[in-house]
Amino acid sequence: MKILILGAGAVGGYWGARLHQAGADVTFLLREKRAAAVKRDGLVVKSPKGDAVLPVKVITSGAEGAPYDVVILACKAYDLDSAMDAIAPAMGPASTIVPMLNGHAHFATLDGRFGAPRVAGGLARITGMLGPNGEILHSGAQGVSFGERDKAAPRAALVALDELVKKAGMQGGLHPDVEQDLWDKWVLLGTIASMCAAMRGTVGDFVAAEDGVAIVRETLDECCAVAAANGHPIDPKVKAGLDTALTTPGSKQVASILGDIEKGGPVEAKQIVGDMLARARAAKIPAPNLRFAYAHLQAYEARRARGGLK
Amino acid sequence: MKILVLGAGAIGGYVGGRLQQAGSDVTFLVRPARQQALQRDGLVIKSKKGDATLKVKTVLGGAEGGPYDIVIVTSKAYDLDSAIEAIAPAVGPNTTVLPLLNGMNHIDRLVATFGAERVVGGLARIGVALSAEGTVLHTSPFAAIAFGERDGSAGRAALVALDEAVKKAGLDGGLHQKIVQDLWDKWIMLATLAAMTTLFRGTVGDILESAEGQAIVLETVEECRKVAAAAGCDPGEKGMANVRGYLTQKGSMFAASMLHDLEKGGMVEADHVVGDMIARARKAGIATPNLRIAHAALQTYLARRARNGLGSLTK
Repeated sequence: MKILILGAGAVGGYWGARLHQAGADVTFLLREKRAAAVKRDGLVVKSPKGDAVLPVKVITSGAEGAPYDVVILACKAYDLDSAMDAIAPAMGPASTIVPMLNGHAHFATLDGRFGAPRVAGGLARITGMLGPNGEILHSGAQGVSFGERDKAAPRAALVALDELVKKAGMQGGLHPDVEQDLWDKWVLLGTIASMCAAMRGTVGDFVAAEDGVAIVRETLDECCAVAAANGHPIDPKVKAGLDTALTTPGSKQVASILGDIEKGGPVEAKQIVGDMLARARAAKIPAPNLRFAYAHLQAYEARRARGGLK
Repeated sequence: MKILVLGAGAIGGYVGGRLQQAGSDVTFLVRPARQQALQRDGLVIKSKKGDATLKVKTVLGGAEGGPYDIVIVTSKAYDLDSAIEAIAPAVGPNTTVLPLLNGMNHIDRLVATFGAERVVGGLARIGVALSAEGTVLHTSPFAAIAFGERDGSAGRAALVALDEAVKKAGLDGGLHQKIVQDLWDKWIMLATLAAMTTLFRGTVGDILESAEGQAIVLETVEECRKVAAAAGCDPGEKGMANVRGYLTQKGSMFAASMLHDLEKGGMVEADHVVGDMIARARKAGIATPNLRIAHAALQTYLARRARNGLGSLTK
């Protein structure tokens, strides 16, 4: 089975490295600059699960070696359009796209371009970042989840991918209800990204504010109500786990969006928070906290656009 | 008339310096480091209204050189406790205490210490900052202070004398019969501006670029107006139109100095400017959801600052 991975950042790079190590036929589709660096240095992984320097296959045009059986899309949501252009030549009639993006808005875009049957559901629970020399600094969690969005019996490519994930020693794999898993992740991400961005601190920092715990709980409720209105209510046990994680005094947990903000970088504002707010409105769910958070992110983007961050 | 100015920072330095230039008897109550700098360099003012280097009288304790007729308090709100302690020995039976702080909470605390009859209302409208070298940098075209009796009466002799001194010094404003309304008007503007520009970490112009920024700003002004109205000081439609106008100008680079303080990692008057507005709202049964979120963000900032986590998120 031929696997193409678009992107060699924390998610695509880490997952691809482990698949490669497990003997999978993996190729990375990268931009010129990143491709040159990986060809020169190898794909470098620093991880508590084991370091690695891997001579991986790299291409800069999706036509090379096409078609691929599985195309893993590991870009940021704001790069989706250029990512779709890049993978289009790699796609054959029987190819399957496994997108690893945050939020939900990308599915409509991908379905429109490639047709829903070729688009599976997927998400990553991989914590890490790219180091200054392009090395993948992995910090622990290494879960992936993918499956058929309509809960049908999984196609052969996804079953094969599941075997490779298990062989690679990663968590997760094929999920019988990936849509629900996507909502579970989005509820967590929508809440923590909204709070860390609008409050500009870690969980421990905003929990220290007088109304911090109340505000994060309200925000979690807003996101849970949106999930329920979209047919994917969050299991009370899952919600209780999120509540604990989001209200722990002194917690250093933080959404990566805040790191992006503090570097002055682009943010997935629309996909993580804006779309959640839009769905709340559509379902007539009051979401005052998501509204503040989205306004915060938009004001950030306006300030970034005028170069006014320093 | 003997005037003691607590603090020779931006506002205290500018106001005290101008009063002295116009012939008033001014003494600055300062900390030892500032005293040394003032003795060495003088009080240095850079301003479009005229630069100056002044030899000034300084004291380290309120007991020196007293009693004073007027004590002008220009500390930050979070330094008020030590300011009260410092001026206490300078306040005699006939002394008037004139604070030039933002908000209202400091007045209650000054009254509790010195008695209602000694404490008058006051505020400054001056764009001024203190440089790292201790120079007073006046940047705004205006430089005004306003003061008056809090009960709306005409004004005691000391305030009338100060009014003359202020006019002689070329400062705008002066004795004002509706000083409490003026304090509320300024606080409504400041609380909204500080809450919004710190919550959204941008200028008014940046906030207005977001889809609901303007709606959120206008809701916040209204929260503050209701609190003022509950205190009997609704600014009225004309006053509100003025505030709304300032806060809804597209592309405006207007931001609260609190945002600059915060982005430098400095101390902020969070409880005084925003927290106290919320406390008054609660007492009056007024909902302030927007101020609540802004105050939580300020407290988050202070928590992060306290753990020294401003440079590195997770240190």
